[in-house]
Amino acid sequence: MKLKDILSPFSVWKKAAQKPWTIIDPINDRPGAENYRGFHRNDFEKCIGCGSCEEICQNAAIDMVPVEGQETKEGNSGLRPRIDYGRCCWCALCVDVCPTGSLTMSNEYTWIADEPEEYRFVPGAAKTKWHDEEKGYKRSQDIQLIDYDRVDMFELSPQERDKSFIEIVKGYNKEQAMKEAERCLECGICIATCPAHMDIPGYIAAIRDDDIENAFRILYETNPLPEICGRICTHKCETVCALHNNGESIAIRWLKRYIADQIPPEKYKEVLGTEHLEDPILNKKVAIIGAGPAGISAAYYLAIMGYKVKIYEALPDSGGMARYGIPEYRLPYDQIDMDYDYIKSLGVEIQFNTKVGEDISLEQLHSDYDAVFTGTGLHLGRSTRISGSDNERVYFATDLLREVSLGNEIDVAENIVVIGGGNVAMDITRTLTRLQNQKFGKVQVLTTSLESEDIMPADREEVVEAREEKAIIDPGWGPKKIEIENGKIKGLHVVKCTSVFDEEGRFNPKFDENQKKFFEADMIVESIGQGMDLSYLSEEIKSGLKFGSRGRIQVNENFQSDLKWLFIGGDIIEGPDVIHGIANGHIAAKAIDTFLKK
Amino acid sequence: MEYLLNKIKKMIKFEASIKQRDDLYFITVKKEQLELILSYLRDNEGFTHLAFLQAVDYLEDNKFQLTYMLYNYDIKVNLGIKVYIDREKAEMVSIHKFWAHSWQYQRELHEMYGINFPGSPRVEESFVLEGWEEIPPMRRDFNTLEYSIKTYYQRPGRSTNDPAKYMKEKMYKKYAESPKIRRDND
Repeated sequence: MKLKDILSPFSVWKKAAQKPWTIIDPINDRPGAENYRGFHRNDFEKCIGCGSCEEICQNAAIDMVPVEGQETKEGNSGLRPRIDYGRCCWCALCVDVCPTGSLTMSNEYTWIADEPEEYRFVPGAAKTKWHDEEKGYKRSQDIQLIDYDRVDMFELSPQERDKSFIEIVKGYNKEQAMKEAERCLECGICIATCPAHMDIPGYIAAIRDDDIENAFRILYETNPLPEICGRICTHKCETVCALHNNGESIAIRWLKRYIADQIPPEKYKEVLGTEHLEDPILNKKVAIIGAGPAGISAAYYLAIMGYKVKIYEALPDSGGMARYGIPEYRLPYDQIDMDYDYIKSLGVEIQFNTKVGEDISLEQLHSDYDAVFTGTGLHLGRSTRISGSDNERVYFATDLLREVSLGNEIDVAENIVVIGGGNVAMDITRTLTRLQNQKFGKVQVLTTSLESEDIMPADREEVVEAREEKAIIDPGWGPKKIEIENGKIKGLHVVKCTSVFDEEGRFNPKFDENQKKFFEADMIVESIGQGMDLSYLSEEIKSGLKFGSRGRIQVNENFQSDLKWLFIGGDIIEGPDVIHGIANGHIAAKAIDTFLKK
Repeated sequence: MEYLLNKIKKMIKFEASIKQRDDLYFITVKKEQLELILSYLRDNEGFTHLAFLQAVDYLEDNKFQLTYMLYNYDIKVNLGIKVYIDREKAEMVSIHKFWAHSWQYQRELHEMYGINFPGSPRVEESFVLEGWEEIPPMRRDFNTLEYSIKTYYQRPGRSTNDPAKYMKEKMYKKYAESPKIRRDND
């Protein structure tokens, strides 16, 4: 035996004076590591209740439950995850997938409760001691389960597009569409925000499965104008997409367009199962006034339900504002025709160049038909009514856009000022830049709006693209007076607009008269809103209707007016945009069905 | 290190190399070359330690990827040797002759991925999953959720809501589905 072996037991004594390595109170004195996957936290301010955490959980440990104080609203289901700690394995997939980053884990890992039910809890609902703990597991920025970047859309460059009206956006190909569809979490938060409540996750899933025919059928369940909507929908759905909180929302509109573009028109009937629908099977008839989105949508759903439908349209072609208000570079006319021709093939009759109120009275329609739906839209311009606005070279944007669509020539001036900051103002601005390019080979259009750049109602990309096409956008000015000399326009005087809305959110612009500008022009276009032409309503009919404070006709939730046979929808009731019109037409068609079956 | 990689490259013409950090490299070699490269690195280049052996399931490619992580104590460099093997007939040569402790890794991979290492000691014995009757759980076609629901009963009182349906109920209940196409016989 060696000496060391004899002495070694005694060496323990030298440790006696050292601080012990064991922890006296391991519950209170031993925090988890910095990145520890401990108990969950959920930031209710950020959480939108999309349920992705529940979806990914491999232990079925998460339920989505209503929580007091959490409101169900657009972009937020109001539901919150409840986690059963009897099943959770702290793998943190729920944290990794959370698109808003609201769900995280603290480094707390001890919790003692008498009641097992307490371990099934909603993180963030009740104050837990770890809720404000900084440390713990958060979703890594480097490794993401979600792809936050949208698949780029090919668009014509400004040089390729600024002289003609050919379509700017080219649409996704199959590979791009499937890649974009892959990004969707299928939470369905967007459905509530879509005015037509389209089954968005449903058709995106069908794209991913490469089942385009099924995707097309899903579109037609709530929207019979997919070629139109796939191009120019206001896509409110994309503003509430779960991915929008941390990255780019799914390109829902472009995916819809992709579906519609894949099905050739001759296959519509076969795919949608409407091959033998030319003859109405019911002997009830419905008249529709206006072949715009609302009217066409109502006509489509009435036709498939077996009604005889006839549309009366004042203009020479279909589409309403979609054709006569939206320039062709955004929505080519043949695409409108594609949607419309299909509906016509279902036996819907249409009479163009027939203005109700002039060529045929509404009373006549009432006596000839069992019900009437009207969606006559907002085709009238609104004037600023400033001094000089009655000059012959002051135009309304809606009138000019209609003339261009009709193929009539416009007397384009070399130097034009547009007043307005909405999408219609951008449409006319960009139309005029093209016409100037064609006529003079250069662009001199200036567009000014009351709203400053940050609150301009136009879509951002419209403003950006208008500038790319060399239009000048100078927002934040109030029109004061149009300078006229010898009957000719010299230009527009403006003063700085400091605020557009008052504290209650009402339109009440304030100006700083000391900041002035003068925009030279020899032609001025007003695009400050549109009005409705209700001259086709006789006094007798008007007396049977109820009107709201701003002159809008009051209808019930089914778009039925106080005259039970008269249903009204589209821009004159809601919107203005295409998708509201489609939704109105859909609901009204079902309501007409209910009304006529009584 | 680059010198060494070039040297190996001349020897066996490997498919791909990656430098992830100054002290972490990966090379991908063919299945048949593994023994040669391991013995060379261990005996001639000082990579004397097998840090771990693990697998990744590339279901879509119908392959398993095996990574043999070696370590050189002198130059303090990790070198991962990657090998792809067929997923259907998942079998790989055992390396317990080079590193005795590797039998334990191989046993684990056999249990978790169903990869066989013929000749490896006790490779068929359960590692942690006694009495396992499903397909190996780390294979990506193993349905964890389904297994979890089947195996562990839910405590009473559970209920959940689909966000989209819940929002419909709360916000736009009146908006019913598309009307059905009516035909003559309807």
